[in-house]
Amino acid sequence: MRTTCPYCGVGCQVEPRLREGRIVEVRGAEIPPNHGALCVKGRFGLDFPFSKKRLLYPMVRESRQEPFRRVSWEEALDHAARKLLEVLQRKGPKALAVFPSAKTTNEEVYLAQKLARALLGTNHVDHCSRLCHSSSTAALSRSLGGASMTNPIEDIWKTDLFLVVGSNTTETHPVIGAMIKKRVRQGARLLVVDPRYTGMAEAATLWLRPRPGTDLFLFNAMARYILEEGLWDQEYVKERTEGFAEWQASLDPYTLEEAERLTGVEKEKIALAARLYATTERAGAYWAMGLTQHTKGTATVQALVNLALLTGKVGREGAGLNPLRGQNNVQGAGDMGGLPDVFPGYLKVSDVTARRRFEALWGVSLNPEPGLRMTEVFAAIPEVEALYLIGEDPVTSEPYQDHLKAKLEALPFLIVQDILENETTPFAHVVLPAASFLEKDGTFTNTDRRVQRVRKILDPPGEARPDWWITRELGKRLAQALGRPWTLHPGPEAIWEEIRRAVPEMMGGITYRRLEEQGVRWPCPQEDHPGEAVLFRQRFNTPSGKARFIPVHFTPPAETPSEEYPLVLSTGRVLYHWHGGTLSRNSRLQEAYPELKVEVNPKDAQRLGIGDGEPIQVVSRRGRIRARAWVTDRTPEGVVYAPFHFAEAPANRLTQDALDPISRIPEYKVAAVRLEKLD
Amino acid sequence: MRLKVNGQEREAQEGTLLLDLVEVPTLCHHPHTETKGLCRLCLVEVGGRLVPACATEAQEGMEVRTDTEGLRALRRTLLEWLALATDLSQAPSLLELLEAHQGQPQRWGGLGLTRKEREPIRDNPFFLRDYAKCVNCRRCVDACGDGIMGVYALTLEDRGLLAHPTTPLDRPLPETPCVFCGNCIQVCPTGALRPLSMEV
Ligand code: SF4
Ligand code: SF4
Ligand code: SF4
Ligand code: FES
Repeated sequence: MRTTCPYCGVGCQVEPRLREGRIVEVRGAEIPPNHGALCVKGRFGLDFPFSKKRLLYPMVRESRQEPFRRVSWEEALDHAARKLLEVLQRKGPKALAVFPSAKTTNEEVYLAQKLARALLGTNHVDHCSRLCHSSSTAALSRSLGGASMTNPIEDIWKTDLFLVVGSNTTETHPVIGAMIKKRVRQGARLLVVDPRYTGMAEAATLWLRPRPGTDLFLFNAMARYILEEGLWDQEYVKERTEGFAEWQASLDPYTLEEAERLTGVEKEKIALAARLYATTERAGAYWAMGLTQHTKGTATVQALVNLALLTGKVGREGAGLNPLRGQNNVQGAGDMGGLPDVFPGYLKVSDVTARRRFEALWGVSLNPEPGLRMTEVFAAIPEVEALYLIGEDPVTSEPYQDHLKAKLEALPFLIVQDILENETTPFAHVVLPAASFLEKDGTFTNTDRRVQRVRKILDPPGEARPDWWITRELGKRLAQALGRPWTLHPGPEAIWEEIRRAVPEMMGGITYRRLEEQGVRWPCPQEDHPGEAVLFRQRFNTPSGKARFIPVHFTPPAETPSEEYPLVLSTGRVLYHWHGGTLSRNSRLQEAYPELKVEVNPKDAQRLGIGDGEPIQVVSRRGRIRARAWVTDRTPEGVVYAPFHFAEAPANRLTQDALDPISRIPEYKVAAVRLEKLD
Repeated sequence: MRLKVNGQEREAQEGTLLLDLVEVPTLCHHPHTETKGLCRLCLVEVGGRLVPACATEAQEGMEVRTDTEGLRALRRTLLEWLALATDLSQAPSLLELLEAHQGQPQRWGGLGLTRKEREPIRDNPFFLRDYAKCVNCRRCVDACGDGIMGVYALTLEDRGLLAHPTTPLDRPLPETPCVFCGNCIQVCPTGALRPLSMEV
């Protein structure tokens, strides 16, 4: 049976073969997007549903001091509903928040945000992509009026130059990474901008190694040089964009000389990169968290957007602006309105027409005020009194862990709905055991907007139930008490049918029947529509139809190295693990990469007397963790790199919660640290 | 363009492989890894010469024969030798093919030293390399290299009966650039590469 890989946003189609309720083998399906290929996670890491840490029964307790009590579903749901209603009556909708997850299905995210908006009346809805691509979403929406990859994955085969920035593609989106490398073997060029010597840098035609957090300066300098040399697309800029003059004037300080001084990249290299990018017609930009997770994340993505507009790269085949989305359903969770300011289809909650549409559909009046974003919700505890978490593990994924834990201690009511016990479960009052991706039906939307089926292959263990069922049942109780309407969908397909009616311009043409064979990309308004591959061919999704240049300026990271903390810590992922490690570390992948290794440049290691494989401590102003040193020049001098998958040595104990002013993403990529030897 | 297949007129596009026009058994050919021309199982006769259908493009006026007495005997012999040299127990499609061709490996007597004596290599947490079952089709090498991954953790060493895929310098896989994507397993037609989860 075919289903969709639950790890990254590539959305590979997998065929797990089962024998006696165990996965014996996983094959890649011979259809898009992966055409048979997989990476280690999809191939060997799908066995987490069999983990001993599965949550099997609903559990409840009055306070965190008590042990959990196993209860029936009835009791757990009644209790959860009663508690939520109590908070609602006492403090109003502002005191409640619902976090769906980018790992659950579209149908489940849709239902969760509907529960929040239509029943609880709160727009405090958000999900984990707040922490990964919110900067991309913000910059792309402001400039183009849409926030997804503009080009499909297949366009890789038509691309003549890749500009890959801040993305360790071969480890985080491995199947796309392999495709890009193959296209490069066929003759395309690869420009890589990354402080780390990644697999991409290794395959690059030209590798620029800027100091962490200086990409914005680099892009602005490239733009200025392209203008100076007359390499820009004047017609495109005139016909399809606005705000050019003001932006052009803002580039004045960004000379190649300054750029070399600030970024540490030789100016000849910057000029060459600019020239190649500008003069290759089919040049596509790809990026990930190296750009976004900064206090100037939005501005940095914006600088890249400006560069693409200047050279006419958006709306063309084999080119475009392509943020590589992380989780399997990050795209879908946003599309389904798992965000504080928008309904499904990115329709603004503050917009009266949009609100009328959903009021008519759901039969309730809706709150016009955008909600708080995830990072802000945590900060607002205990003003926010109740939190309904679905498949999220903030203790591992949020920055400045000790601070976050203190917040959760102070939270009066927490519902954790998940498949596995994780670092956040100990803070819960109600635990609702959910079904894994192997145990339910639905859809995920991958990074290039392809809606794909998820299929039930196994029965859930114990009393675990699919998230849509749990949310539906909780909603039923809330609706009864509040006297509000609530549809009791018999299953995921029925929920999908409501989604098609909610956002027909986006999903109207996508039916489960069509998805039987392979995924379909949105926007797809009618059933005979093939689904759009390249966005913005004719016009952008802005009111004027034109894309906007927006001036952005360089600012240094929130924390710079000091005498006491002389190194820069950057966090990220490794091939074998996934985010908080909750899934991958409960699978066979754990054997291949069992413990935290921190990359240290040989020069720093030598100065500190640290040998390869030695145990060390990494210390920041906020905490310390134990790790093993991996002495390697993958990381530049002065920078240490730590994956954040390891709950027992959480890199996020070190990171800071300084936020981007627009996207509210934390600055995971730059924290000042020092290394201490352990004996 | 026009050509003749077993006496019948056929139409074909420029660049079409003979394999797309005729029904012949294949083993090494794989569209994703672009492997071709190694196993000789897909041989056809063109103007009296034997050519691999998976590596030959159709040409105007070609006369292709796919089912001559000689070809049948050749395929049968190739399959018999495979069965003698290799453990085909996990390659059901090859066993079927052998039967369809009325193969009788025993008629050649023993082969002396064969691959069947090779011990499985278990050097990583994910999959087994059981080269007793390997037919040297090279698909795994190509999947790992140019065909899909660009990783080059596998190479083909030696020739003839000694030929076998291995890692550079015979290192254990974890000491190579292998990323354990398992794409080599996916393309392996014989079960020589298989997930550890299939054992037990
Ligand atoms: S590339 Fe992503 S979607 Fe594909 S198998 Fe790997 S983790 Fe799964
Ligand atoms: S699993 Fe290793 S050897 Fe096999 S294709 Fe992938 S990288 Fe190559
Ligand atoms: S291991 Fe499998 S794929 Fe590789 S050469 Fe042998 S039979 Fe072919
Ligand atoms: S399939 Fe043609 S030579 Fe092997």
